[in-house]
Amino acid sequence: MKPVADMKNIHQLDLAQIQAQTRRHFLGWGTGGLGAFFLNSTLANAAPAGGHAPLDFARNPATPLSVLPPQFAGKIKRVIYLHMGGAPSQLELFDYKPTLARFHGHDCPESFIKGKRLAFIQGIPKLLGPMFPFHRAGKSGTWISDRLPHLERAIDDLCVIKSMKTDQFNHAPAQLLVHTGDARTGYASLGSWVTYGLGSENQNLPGFIVLISNGGTTANAGKPLWGSGFLPSVYQGVACRSAGEPVLYLDNPKSVSRAERRKVLDAVDEINRQTYQQFGNPETVTRIAQYEMAFRMQLEASDAMDIRREPKAVLERYGAEPGKTSYANNCLVARRLAERGVRYIQLYHWGWDSHGTPTDEGLNVGLVGRCRDTDKATAALLADLKARGLLEDTLVVWGGEFGRTPMWENRGGQEMEFIGRDHHPNCFTIWMAGGGIKHGISYGETDDMGYEIARNPVEVRDLHATMLYLLGFDYRRLNYPYQGLDQKLTGVKPARIVSEILA
Amino acid sequence: MSGGDGISGRQSGRLSAAAYFGCVALLTLAGVGLSILAQPALGHDMLQLMGLERVPQADSASFYAKRVTPLLETRCAACHGEKRQKSDLRLDSFAGLLRGGKHGAVIRPGDTKNSELSLRISLPSSDDRAMPPSGKPPLTEDEKTVIRLWIAHGASGVLRDIAGAPKPVAEVKLPELDTARVEKQRAPLAAMVRRLQGRFPGVIAYEARDTADLEINASLRATDFGDADLQALAPLAARIVRADLSGTAVTDASLPVLAAMPKLKNLRLSGTKVGDIRGLEAAPALKSLSVVNTKVSGSALAAFKAKGITVYGGGDGP
Repeated sequence: MKPVADMKNIHQLDLAQIQAQTRRHFLGWGTGGLGAFFLNSTLANAAPAGGHAPLDFARNPATPLSVLPPQFAGKIKRVIYLHMGGAPSQLELFDYKPTLARFHGHDCPESFIKGKRLAFIQGIPKLLGPMFPFHRAGKSGTWISDRLPHLERAIDDLCVIKSMKTDQFNHAPAQLLVHTGDARTGYASLGSWVTYGLGSENQNLPGFIVLISNGGTTANAGKPLWGSGFLPSVYQGVACRSAGEPVLYLDNPKSVSRAERRKVLDAVDEINRQTYQQFGNPETVTRIAQYEMAFRMQLEASDAMDIRREPKAVLERYGAEPGKTSYANNCLVARRLAERGVRYIQLYHWGWDSHGTPTDEGLNVGLVGRCRDTDKATAALLADLKARGLLEDTLVVWGGEFGRTPMWENRGGQEMEFIGRDHHPNCFTIWMAGGGIKHGISYGETDDMGYEIARNPVEVRDLHATMLYLLGFDYRRLNYPYQGLDQKLTGVKPARIVSEILA
Repeated sequence: MSGGDGISGRQSGRLSAAAYFGCVALLTLAGVGLSILAQPALGHDMLQLMGLERVPQADSASFYAKRVTPLLETRCAACHGEKRQKSDLRLDSFAGLLRGGKHGAVIRPGDTKNSELSLRISLPSSDDRAMPPSGKPPLTEDEKTVIRLWIAHGASGVLRDIAGAPKPVAEVKLPELDTARVEKQRAPLAAMVRRLQGRFPGVIAYEARDTADLEINASLRATDFGDADLQALAPLAARIVRADLSGTAVTDASLPVLAAMPKLKNLRLSGTKVGDIRGLEAAPALKSLSVVNTKVSGSALAAFKAKGITVYGGGDGP
């Protein structure tokens, strides 16, 4: 590492500067002379958010993950995001609607469908009441269904937001919006932004690790969900497997020793250094850094991912079984990574798309199964983090990409074999637990039918702004210059930090 | 043509010029009067145009400006504003709101029940006349309440507070970053911090860009970090607000050093050899302590809990 660390950063800065220059800058300079008199007065009013100098995120390219302090003291140090892919039904889990139950089986009011585009529902669907009984739980009296008996024990640690909304009703764009702030591909993911802004404490592991379960088909939106977009590629998420080698081809091939691997790396590094001296592309230095990290990861990642090292009692609490690929295993790995200073840990568990088409997409079958896959492990993760004092400075987020309709899905206008609900962007439920936010509360309300938000809507960008605030950033100031804009996670629309849920 | 001849032929019935113009004026006035009856807004428009009536203005500190304007601007003005004026109605100004649209006034001050605006926002979204129209998110209950209360209290442009109005959402104040001030605060120890950061890479960091306070995290150095190393950080002791020493080789010998850190809020000693933590509760700012997987006994923790310090682990532990 040493020779790399000694390298001058000047070339890198020059190049970064050239890349940052665009037509907009040129036109900006071109307005000198006459226009300047006018612009002088106009621009004074148009200065960005208080006219701050941009925050400096420059690092030595050889240590791109080195820790940078947040803008102001944050409440949390790391994030564990539990994404339930396919969009779990809020109406079967958290958002209790007795009125909807009363109208179960009635034709849906015309206003719900008139002039609206729904993903699959056609004609006049029937209303579908909650499929499972609800009750109040914990000291907070938070509503929860009987499908999550384990999570119920942690209910007073949760801040349940029932008024999330999105503008996307297909999985891939909705997932992209949740994880990159934009429904199109090409934007930097939340984990990348956080790792870019703060770096990662452990230099022997990626700062942003992705763990996937129940994903024969991976994410609808695929790898862009943890991509780095326009941010340097080193900040992208690294998908690790929870069975076998954590990262494919990370281990040395048989009959290649660690010392031999070192020699190979030294040679490759030397070539890369020459390339860098010739062309001055900082991505070359990043590549050297990545190879070196992979080498260190051979030891560290295997240890971090190896849940066989956990006591039997812990494995049982999570329902983890070493050697399998499961959500439970991933939850346990997530705690081990959190302890090892990994900044952003993203779990995906698929199969929540309860349309009622095949068995596994029935609310009465698939959703029950998904709850069984996840309930115990999620609760164990929360309890474990809490007992270890880690929940103090960790934020755990649980949620899907949108909600589900109060109507019984009738794909093609037909009655379906299994019970299901269609995609519903107007409202959905997520929960958060951890540092800096109130616990044992529900925030926001939907109307009596669970169709629209009645109180305190929270946009996806508001969630992002709130998360960045907890990490110590003003969402407007965690920027990266690209295509002539100071890009930010929340995009161009104004976002709001949800102050009511802050502790 | 023949009709014209007829008129010119009736010399005796010819109107005088005064009478003629009088008639025209009368008809015009009647026309204007009728159209004002049909569309009262027109009258205000004309009077305001002629400078005979003041254009209504709301006080910038009023309930209207603070609570109603933002709602109208974000939820109504796209169709009833500068760019589009559906039904000839503009809701992007106080004057426009009082003026109403082509179907008349939308507000009857003090009379919520008969105010069109209040009626429209209260209709179920299935109703064709509901506003915002079907397909757009309806106003939330709090938003509706704000508008109704404001009308009920006279649709005033000066009234400041309305009792019982839903509380406005608190804006989070984000601290300003004053680089010069921070540099000044950091200056006395800056060289020392840099030197020790060089000696213990990755262990010492500023808590944030806007403070001179420090955090130490030696947990990743595991047993390579011990009592002597913590001792070496002594020059920074006054600035340390957070210390994660989990899994390091520190022992009870380090406890007095930690207890003397005046700003230390969070301390992690999980998985270390510390056993007798008595006296550590004297750390003046300590708020939380982790001693998971240590020999710290449950009885030693009472003193911490008595001081309101949250303790994780110890005793039976997880």
